[in-house]
Amino acid sequence: MKKIRIGIVALLAAFVMALSLAACSSQSSEPAEEDTSTPAATTEESTEAAATNLTILYEEDDSLINTYSLLAVNPDAPFVDADGNEVADVAINSEGAAAFIDWMLSDEGLELIADYGMADFGESLFTVNDDAPHYDGDIPQATDETKAIRLSTTTSVNDSGLLDYLLPYFEDEYGYEVEVYSAGTGKAIANAESGNADAILVHSKSQEEEFVTAGFAYTLPGFDSERLSFMHNYFVLCGPADDPAGVADAATALDAFAQIADGKYPFVSRGDASGTHTKEISLWPEDLGITTEADSVADYTDWYTYSNAGMGACLAMANETNAYILSDKATFLTFEANGGIVE
Amino acid sequence: MLTAFEEAIALLVSGDEMLTNIVLVTLRMSIASSLIALAIGMPLGTALAMGRSKIVSALVIVNRTLMGVPPVVCGLLCYLMFCGVGPLRWLQLLYTVEGMVVAQVLLITPIVAGNMESYVRGLVDDVRETARGIGLSRVRTALLLLGECRYQVFTVYLIAFGRAIAEVGAVSMVGGAIAYKTNVMTTAIMMYTNRGDFTLGIALGIILLLMFLTLNVAVSIVQRNVAR
Repeated sequence: MKKIRIGIVALLAAFVMALSLAACSSQSSEPAEEDTSTPAATTEESTEAAATNLTILYEEDDSLINTYSLLAVNPDAPFVDADGNEVADVAINSEGAAAFIDWMLSDEGLELIADYGMADFGESLFTVNDDAPHYDGDIPQATDETKAIRLSTTTSVNDSGLLDYLLPYFEDEYGYEVEVYSAGTGKAIANAESGNADAILVHSKSQEEEFVTAGFAYTLPGFDSERLSFMHNYFVLCGPADDPAGVADAATALDAFAQIADGKYPFVSRGDASGTHTKEISLWPEDLGITTEADSVADYTDWYTYSNAGMGACLAMANETNAYILSDKATFLTFEANGGIVE
Repeated sequence: MLTAFEEAIALLVSGDEMLTNIVLVTLRMSIASSLIALAIGMPLGTALAMGRSKIVSALVIVNRTLMGVPPVVCGLLCYLMFCGVGPLRWLQLLYTVEGMVVAQVLLITPIVAGNMESYVRGLVDDVRETARGIGLSRVRTALLLLGECRYQVFTVYLIAFGRAIAEVGAVSMVGGAIAYKTNVMTTAIMMYTNRGDFTLGIALGIILLLMFLTLNVAVSIVQRNVAR
């Protein structure tokens, strides 16, 4: 009996080992196949990998403007659960959200925003819009019920350090506590639609308008719109310093993107329905048919990386693979200043 | 890597407010979830080991399957339960440490139970014979079994704690990595990596390991004294 048992155990062990070996070898063979399918681009890449690093190549084009908006979540919004059933009693801290938005759009808030970045980068990371909505009224102090404000925002606002810099002024003066949840704009908005946020700060016009149309936002007293666009900066097109696609000399941002697509130069896309992702897909030549859906780029996998990751992860990826990438300027500058671009 | 070590030490010495908060939240979350998981998983594992029916064998297999639940799946389930429109929204657990503990307990309990089951299984026949000889009840037999494998219980606890402190998928979904509230070591490392601050990320990783090392030393000392 004992011998049989040992035999069975040995057989099992051999089976597991064979399985893991098979798994390993199939993994290692995959990239090899990919290598052969992309001829010119990859060889160029590997010889120059050490020479170049990610840098801003194209910026300040009107089509690259990146506008941020604040929206207060409507407590009577048509919330539905995962099965599509209506949910009525969703807890939203409307008063706290109103106080936060009022403060952001007060003289104090707007001046602080305009000043952010001067100390560390010698330039402002965000510019207050000329026609930014403005609030002059009083802002109530926090009470126990209104104290905790849930802000759903995009990674670019959070990762650039803007909120870390702004919030202490607001919290110390009025006694609120702003809990910041940050994700790509698509996810940040979905989070609010699930009733997990009192206010959102995002940067994707089309997605914001859908949010308003669906009834998830409402107009705060003293303002004339649900969607309060108040600041902007610019997206920047980054790539390897030697710029093989020559985008630095392109006449417009659209030309720059067309050059990348024509030459099939590697490009890293966020692929996560974020504000940056929606801006990027609006810049490709229309006949490519690139949308936020992954299957729209199925034919371009030899040069287009649909990464589904945050801005920082994508910047690191672009830096490693000598790829072009669209980033908001604030995140790029912070990422670079923190040493994220490893040469 | 050397700069990361220096930064880790500098951070620890500086008593940075943000770091202190992250460490405290991490400890609160990991200790609470591992202890609760131990309290549920230990009796559960012992019961599974003592049972001889077909149902119990099936339950053992179910438990072993649950040991392999991907943390993100568990996190997603908890998110859907606790979120503003979820069926358990009245508990108000989303983006709280308590919510993270719930997700972690769901993840870790099967691991504790599975490990206990396999330890106890090795002793159960001998102990049961002894217990029958001196006429012990079932509950007392179970207690005797637990006493017999007290040395292993500490190891199981370390596995549970290690899992709790190192986990990122579930806690980032349920906790939301909110600064000064639910940001733990692992989610903070993710955040700093996304900001391009790799050195600070590694520094936090080193601090995380140091915390686990300290706990390991403490538990190992107690384990030796208790199990002798």
